[in-house]
Amino acid sequence: MMKIKIFVLSVLLTFPIVPQEIDFNLPHNIKLFADFLFCEKDYLRAIVEYKKYLNTTENDTVQFKIALAYSKMNEFNLAFANLEKIKRASIFYQDGISEKLKLLFIQNNDSAFYQFAKNVVSSDIKYQKLYLCYGLLNKIKYGDKNKFLAAFDNEEKISVEKFYEQKLNPNYKSEVLAGILSAIIPGSGKIYTEEYGDGITSFLLTGLFSYLAYTNFDHKHYTRAWIFTALGAGFYAGNVYGSVASAQIFNAKVNFEFENGLKLYLEEKNYFIPEYEFCK
Amino acid sequence: MIINNKIILIFFFLITQSVLAQTDWVRWEKSSASYQIKDDYENRSYDLSIESISDILVKPVINAYWFFISDVDGANCPFHPSCSTFLVQSVKETNIFQGTLMFFDRFTRDTNVFGRLSHYPRYGKNHFYDPINLYTLSSDRIKIIPVNTFVNDEN
Amino acid sequence: MNFVNKILFLFLILFANYFAQTTLQQQFNYAVSLFEQEKYFDAITEFKRLQFFDKENQFTFESNLLIGKSYKSGAKFDDAIKYFTLAEIASKNDEDFYQANIFNARANILRKTNNQAERILTDLLNDKKFSSKKNEINYWLGWNAIFSDDWKKAAQIFSENNLDTALANLCKSVDEEFYSVDFAKYSSYLLPGLGQFYTKEYVSGVLSLGWNILGGYLTINSFVEDRVLDGIIIGNFLWMRFYSGNTQNAEKFAIQKNLEISNQTLKYLQNKFAGEKP
Repeated sequence: MMKIKIFVLSVLLTFPIVPQEIDFNLPHNIKLFADFLFCEKDYLRAIVEYKKYLNTTENDTVQFKIALAYSKMNEFNLAFANLEKIKRASIFYQDGISEKLKLLFIQNNDSAFYQFAKNVVSSDIKYQKLYLCYGLLNKIKYGDKNKFLAAFDNEEKISVEKFYEQKLNPNYKSEVLAGILSAIIPGSGKIYTEEYGDGITSFLLTGLFSYLAYTNFDHKHYTRAWIFTALGAGFYAGNVYGSVASAQIFNAKVNFEFENGLKLYLEEKNYFIPEYEFCK
Repeated sequence: MIINNKIILIFFFLITQSVLAQTDWVRWEKSSASYQIKDDYENRSYDLSIESISDILVKPVINAYWFFISDVDGANCPFHPSCSTFLVQSVKETNIFQGTLMFFDRFTRDTNVFGRLSHYPRYGKNHFYDPINLYTLSSDRIKIIPVNTFVNDEN
Repeated sequence: MNFVNKILFLFLILFANYFAQTTLQQQFNYAVSLFEQEKYFDAITEFKRLQFFDKENQFTFESNLLIGKSYKSGAKFDDAIKYFTLAEIASKNDEDFYQANIFNARANILRKTNNQAERILTDLLNDKKFSSKKNEINYWLGWNAIFSDDWKKAAQIFSENNLDTALANLCKSVDEEFYSVDFAKYSSYLLPGLGQFYTKEYVSGVLSLGWNILGGYLTINSFVEDRVLDGIIIGNFLWMRFYSGNTQNAEKFAIQKNLEISNQTLKYLQNKFAGEKP
C-alpha cells in the first residue's frame, strides 16, 4: 500500500505544478508578443515592443524587423535609419541593402538612388534588376536589349522585355497631326486620338452653325447670320485646340498606364526581394 | 439558433476586415464622430473680389449670369467645374483667347451625351470630373485620374 | 499521513492555479485601468497582450468587448464592430451575447450604417430571451431612427409606453418643423415659384416665375404666329429649362432647409443632451 501511495505521489509531483507565473515583462515574452503583432500587421505596436526588447538584448533579427515594420507603414526615413543600424557581419546585412535600394526606388529621387546604387550594384548581380527597372521608370540609356535583359531570370525576361519595348516605342499620337486633321475636317483630329464621340459632335456642331450662318445670309437675316458665323468660328477653333489637347491627354494616358503597369509588376515581384520567413 | 447562423456570416465578414490593421499605424486619442449629416448639394459662392484687370469686366458679368440665369434654371452641367466656372478658371489661368477656345471645346464635350462613364472620373453623386489643367496645353500639368475613381475634393 | 499528504498536495495545486490566474487577472485589471483613464490605444495593446498569453480563453469575451469599446471611443467604428463581433462569438452566456450585440448596434448607429443597426436590434427584439430588455432595445431603435433622419418614426418609438418623453417631444417638433419636399416640388409643377415661396426662398421664386412667364409667352406667341421652329427652339431653351430648373430648385430648397433643421437638432443632441447617447 505504501509503495502504491509513494508511486502515485511521485507521479503527481512530476506534474507541472510549478505556478504558471507569466511575467509579461520578461524579454522573451515581450518578443513573442511583438512577433505576433508583427504578423498581425499591427506594426506600430510591434515596433514599440521590439524596442523594449532591444533595451535589454541585442538582436539583429529584431532590428531588421523594426526596419521592415517602418517600411510597411511607409515611414521611409525611420526605416532607412533602422536599416543603417544593421552591422556588416549580420546575416541580414544583404537583405538590408536590398530593402534600402527598394526604399530609395519608391522615393523616386534620382540622385539619392543612383548614388546608393552605384556602390552596391557592382557587388552582386541581384541588385542590378531594381537598378535597371529604375531606368525604365525614369530615363534610360538605350543600348543592347539583350544586355539589358541579361540580369533577369527567364520568366522575368518575358515581362521586362514588354516594358522595355514599350519604353522604346511608345504609341504616342502626334499633337501636330491632330491639329491639322481637325483644321481640314472638324472632328477628325479627335477621331484620330480615339475620342470618337467628341469628334462626331465637333463635326456636327461646326456643320450646324455653318449651315445656319449660310441660310441666314441667304435669307438676308444679317444679325443672326453673323452671330451664327461667330459661333461656328468659335466651335471650329475650339475643335482644333481641343484636338491638340486630346492628343496630349492621350499621350499622358499612355505614360500613366506604362508607369502603373511597371509599378504593379514590381509590387507583385516584391521588388525582386525574396519573401521572408517571419510569418510562415 | 441565432448564434450558429450568424457565425458563418461573421467569419466571412471578418476575413475582409483583416485589412483594417492600418487603423493603428498612427497613435490615436479619444474622439467622436459628428452626428450631423453632410450636405451633398454644391452651393454657389459669389465672389466679386477684383484681382486683375480682366476681373473688372468678367466678374460682374459672370456673377450676374449666375444670379439671374444659372441658379434659376437648375443644375444642368454634368461636369464638376461647371461650364461657366470652367470658363472663368481657364481665362484666369491662361488668357481670354485660350480660355474661350477651352470653353468651346468644353461645350462640345458637354453636348456629347454618350460614353461619359467610360471617359471621365466621377465627382460627387451625379457629376463628372473635368478640370482645366488637362486642357491648358502644358503637358506637365496633366494629371491622369483613372476612369472609375471618385474624386471628392480638389487638391 | 496519507490524508495530510493529500491535503498538502491539494493546497499546492490550488496555490499554483491561484498564482497563474493572478498574473492574467492582474494584466486584465491593468488594461481595464488604462481603459478607464481613457488611454484607449494603450489599453488595446494591453488587452491584446493578455489575449496572446491567455491560452485558455478565460478573458476572451471581456477583452474583446473592451477593445471594441476602446475603438468606439476613438471613433474607429469599423474596428469596433469587428471586435464586438468577436466578443459575440466568445460570449459565454445570454447577458454577454446581449452586451456584445447592443454595443455592435450602437457602433453601427454612430457609423451611420443604419440598416445593419436596425437588423441587429430587431433580431434582439424578436428573441424571447431578451424580453425583459425591450425598453433598452427600443431606446436604441429610436436613436437609429434619428440617425436615419426619420424623426417621425423616432417620435413614435420614444412615445410608446412613455419610453422617453423628452426625446419624443424633440423628435415630434423636428418632424413638424420639416418642409414637405413633395409639396414643394409639386406646387412648383403647378405654379412656377410656388415651391420656392413655400420654402421662403422668395428671390428665387420671383425669378423663376418671371422667366417662366416670359418663356411661356414667347413660345405660345411663336406658335400663334405660325413660327413653329422658332417656337420649338424658344420653348426648349427658354421655357423648358426654367420650368424644370424651377421644380429642381424647389425640391432642393426644401431638402436643404430640412437638413439644416436636422443638423441643428443633431448638434444639440451631440453636445447638450444629457441622456444616454450611442
